[in-house]
Amino acid sequence: MNIPPNLLDATVQHLVLTYSALAIAIAIALPLSLAALYSRRAAMAVMTGANLLQAIPSFAVVAIVVPFLGIGFVPAVIAIMIRALLPIIKNAYLGLRDVDASLIDSAKGIGLTEWQITRHIRLPHAYPPLFAGMKFAAILANSIAILTAIIGSGGLGSIIFQGLSNLNTDKILAGSLPTIGIALFIDASFSLLERAVTPRTASPERNIKKR
Amino acid sequence: MIIMSALDSFLGVWEAQRLMDRTIEHLSMFAAAMVLATIIGVAVGVAVHRHARVSQVLFNMLNVAETIPTIALLVLLLPVLGLGSRPTIVTSVIYSVLPIARNTYAGLTSVSAEHLAVAEALGLSRREVLVHVRFPLALPLVAGGIRIALVFTMGVVTLGGLIAAGGLGAPLQTGIQLYDMDIIIVTGLWVGLLAVVFDALAGYAEHRLGERL
Repeated sequence: MNIPPNLLDATVQHLVLTYSALAIAIAIALPLSLAALYSRRAAMAVMTGANLLQAIPSFAVVAIVVPFLGIGFVPAVIAIMIRALLPIIKNAYLGLRDVDASLIDSAKGIGLTEWQITRHIRLPHAYPPLFAGMKFAAILANSIAILTAIIGSGGLGSIIFQGLSNLNTDKILAGSLPTIGIALFIDASFSLLERAVTPRTASPERNIKKR
Repeated sequence: MIIMSALDSFLGVWEAQRLMDRTIEHLSMFAAAMVLATIIGVAVGVAVHRHARVSQVLFNMLNVAETIPTIALLVLLLPVLGLGSRPTIVTSVIYSVLPIARNTYAGLTSVSAEHLAVAEALGLSRREVLVHVRFPLALPLVAGGIRIALVFTMGVVTLGGLIAAGGLGAPLQTGIQLYDMDIIIVTGLWVGLLAVVFDALAGYAEHRLGERL
């Protein structure tokens, strides 16, 4: 099999694309889900928006970014980020909200402030759904980072699409196999992380919204 | 004035890109994939609902398959299935079977002990319990699985445009290649609208089924 000479560069580019979009999505999603926790209006807006946008095909999201932001690496990161944002917000908000009421009552009973309750009770108990959401978002990001090659992001998708345009099986394999490896790595690493951070008082299956 | 020119460019794209034909292509792939995925998914859920060990292994395997990027799966099937609508439908089905099978399994196995005790007291056979007790009670969850599958399938079918399957992904690709903003916006919004409407209809059906119980 012929390995394209730029495979390593493309893989690095793919990883940068995936993880930077994921990092930005996490940084935006956490404050938004906290805001949703304290304001019913924000909660409605966030959940309705998340549910609606999640139904839209990724290809449409990637394409619609072009008229507004043009093509290239940055528009690609933003397209991936938009898509990765939704599962994180949704799981974080539901996880923070649905903490066992008796735990909150006990925390109030020993005199913790609202913020202390959020920080020390709600957040740790929301870890399992939160990390499940991040895992889902990361897998999604890895998948869309291939697609964004058609709007000029570079990365492994470029190799796949070159292979596709002249039906070059070597290129198709060289581009797609690493993305599968990355997907499996993301799945395994986030599952480990999820297990490591789950507090012993919380059952791991609780609240996890699988989509 | 702005509305007129917007309408003008909308109609221009609609005709030049034959969006009506593309929509029909899109929805027929979508329908074929959904029918297949529902039949297979429900059958798998029913088949494994009495075998906890087997179902766990199977669902773990399907979970791993679910993490594979859609485009990677589409292009890897290419040597076997070629280009066009066939690999698109097969890929949609691969992704959509899991949520339907998993929800069917969850629905069938989460029936309360009381329901089962009553059924046993009535002298129902195992098969009758499945058909008359377990399955009706599982319906809302099955519908929830189908709704998730619907979103997956819509996404995969749109990507089919990239491997010559036609559908609404084709004009999206054309728009990007020609850097034609009108094509991108009109097609993108139309695909998004279709997806949201189908999801809303499925959500409504799911809600009604849940209420009925």
